[in-house]
Amino acid sequence: MKQHLGRQSGVQKVDVSLIDGKVDVTPREDGRIDPVQLLKAVYDSGVSVAEMDVTARGKIVKDASSNFALQISPNQSFAIAPNDLLKTVEPLAGLPAVVTIRGELYHKPAGKKKAAAPEALKLLILEVQKKE
Amino acid sequence: MNTIKLALLFLLGFAFIPVSQAQIKHIEMRVEGMT
Repeated sequence: MKQHLGRQSGVQKVDVSLIDGKVDVTPREDGRIDPVQLLKAVYDSGVSVAEMDVTARGKIVKDASSNFALQISPNQSFAIAPNDLLKTVEPLAGLPAVVTIRGELYHKPAGKKKAAAPEALKLLILEVQKKE
Repeated sequence: MNTIKLALLFLLGFAFIPVSQAQIKHIEMRVEGMT
């Protein structure tokens, strides 16, 4: 699995802890990493992902349907699931301010032994680390 | 000539700002079924 993940575009380093089942992925500074592709790569290696957390830096944007998203680059953004922490960054929508957010991108549905890799991910904010 | 060079430097600087400002810094997964 480590080799499989290491071959994904934008990945610099992969650390696997067998004891607690944790996989840490360090993206390349200049690379574009796609979490959906990472999830698929893990599934392809025969392992099931229970949870995926991400720390990302980007701008808060609001689409035509008033949904908020964290925009990482002009062609990469994650829709944000509503919660109390979203309210603290909502006023930044449309502003050039950059925020660093730690959030949950994927959580395996309860009761399923092996769920299929999802096509789209929603970011549930766990922590707003920095507003610039 | 110097003004053109300065203007180019300024424009290039703006081109690189979004790359350095926004990025995925870290991804952590908890997996099941790993041996």
